Amino acid sequence: MQTGKFFSRTIVRIPLIIWTLAVLYPIVWMVLGAFKSNAEIYANPWGLPESFSFANFVDAWSNYNIDTSVFNSFIVTGLGATLTLMMAIPTSYALERMRFRGNRLLFTLYISAMMIPMVLGWIPLFFLLMQLNLLDNIFGLSIVYAVSQLPFSIFVLTSFMATIPKSLEEAAAIDGMSPYGILWKVITPLSTTGIITVTIMNMIQFWNEYFMALIFLQTEENYTLALAIDYISNETQYTNAWGTLFASLVIAIVPVIVLYAIFQRRIVKGMTEGAIKG
Amino acid sequence: MEGGMGRLLSSHSFFHNHTEREGSVMVQSRRQRNLFLAFCLVPTFILFSVFTLYPLFNGLYYSFFEWSGASSLAEFVGFDNYRRLFSDEIIPRTILHDYFLVVTKVVGIMILSTFFAVALTQLKIKEAPFYRIVFFFPNIMSVVVIGILWMFIYNPSLGLVNSGLELIGLESWTKPWLGSEDWALPSLVLPSVWAGIGLFMLMLMGGISNISKSYYEAAEIDGATEWQQFWKVTLPLIWPQIKISILYIIITTLNGSFIIVQVMTKGGPNNSTHVMGSYLYEQAFVKYNFGYGATIGVMILILSLVTVLIMQFFMRREKVEY
Repeated sequence: MQTGKFFSRTIVRIPLIIWTLAVLYPIVWMVLGAFKSNAEIYANPWGLPESFSFANFVDAWSNYNIDTSVFNSFIVTGLGATLTLMMAIPTSYALERMRFRGNRLLFTLYISAMMIPMVLGWIPLFFLLMQLNLLDNIFGLSIVYAVSQLPFSIFVLTSFMATIPKSLEEAAAIDGMSPYGILWKVITPLSTTGIITVTIMNMIQFWNEYFMALIFLQTEENYTLALAIDYISNETQYTNAWGTLFASLVIAIVPVIVLYAIFQRRIVKGMTEGAIKG
Repeated sequence: MEGGMGRLLSSHSFFHNHTEREGSVMVQSRRQRNLFLAFCLVPTFILFSVFTLYPLFNGLYYSFFEWSGASSLAEFVGFDNYRRLFSDEIIPRTILHDYFLVVTKVVGIMILSTFFAVALTQLKIKEAPFYRIVFFFPNIMSVVVIGILWMFIYNPSLGLVNSGLELIGLESWTKPWLGSEDWALPSLVLPSVWAGIGLFMLMLMGGISNISKSYYEAAEIDGATEWQQFWKVTLPLIWPQIKISILYIIITTLNGSFIIVQVMTKGGPNNSTHVMGSYLYEQAFVKYNFGYGATIGVMILILSLVTVLIMQFFMRREKVEY
């Protein structure tokens, strides 16, 4: 029995280790590639670099305007996440705590929007943004992003607020606190955990997003990082500057790695719960 | 909207107004309550309507127009775009490609993630948290990063796939994966599975950890092998999670497979990897056939809703309780 168990565990480890390599090797190799010269990438694409050089990062940063794109991505991510919270917190509170006609209907409307393919809406949205002078504009994109994550955020926040005991609000109301005060000074602080989870998920989403940026941004100085990388990737077919491409991929992935390292548990929880909504 | 606001439930005692208080206070606080409700709901709902609901319905409306973008030239064409949709030879191929990705991703992701989930929960492996953290990581990487990384892995001269095949003496198998009409679409499956495993593995692990140990003890007393335990205990009890995972893969593939297509192949070579969404993008934003693009969008909407409904019907199963 004992030896049998040991044996089966060793057998099971083989696919686990293979998959670990399959996940880590391309990522590690991408990071190493960012430090190699182009000649070295051709001579030895999958090995260790001979010496670590930052030339690719310098090239990406100054010659491919990655600096502007990083800045744009930070703006879009920060602004988008803030706007989402400003919209989602009051609505989640009202939907979760207050009784009014149409409460269920409104909640269902928001939640079912998570399952609707938004591609259809992107064509009219393109012209709407054009009319509002928000096309090819990172602030316009931030608003679109914020609204796109609204259903998910409301879903997570309402289920989080449901766990806050009602007695706290009631006590605050008896003390004469206005409903605005209760929302801002009682509910919001007590929802911090939920708010952080939602915000991290939204920030990762906005930082990574590609397709809406592709449609709604047009000039290079407004590109987010995802678009800038895609642009460099298309150039690479002609210039073969693989090192620069890898350097820009590393720049794009580092903030996500940092967030994952700090908030691993929250991210996992947020994503699995977000999926269970379906 | 106004009517709904006006007829709020007066019985609700949000402000703890006691009946002995004056009526005017009641009225005032009720108005305050409505104001607060409007403050909470109205701005959000307006933005949601403008940037989500209106574009969706307007997309439906656009599908009846022939339009190249200039606002004065939109021409009502009735069902012409829909007729064109049915006679367009590329459309059936895009649908087929989408469902090919759905089926291969569901099979690939579910088999691997179920295996990993069972391995990491049932067999007490010390380093299980390490695998969990590693396997999940690709789930939070940008599709652009994943796509570009895999473009290089498939690169005909430098890539890992062809170098690996040469290393083990299968030089005849090497090919320009993404440049081959036959192999480009299957080549897109691996990056999608690679990026998807972690999330579904964790969802299934959540299901498995909720199964009471006593079921396995009982099964063991009855002499059930580990394999039988998997089929008779684990699988039926995590069926809800499996069902959600499959539906989630279907929805995200039909609504999002075009992103990796756009990054890795742009629908080529010779339309062999076009899926519905990437074809919509090409028609609308490259060729400026916005009306026809919207028609493709309506098709995506209908197909994904119908598919989800059908799958829900087939996967309904009595909830198992032992």
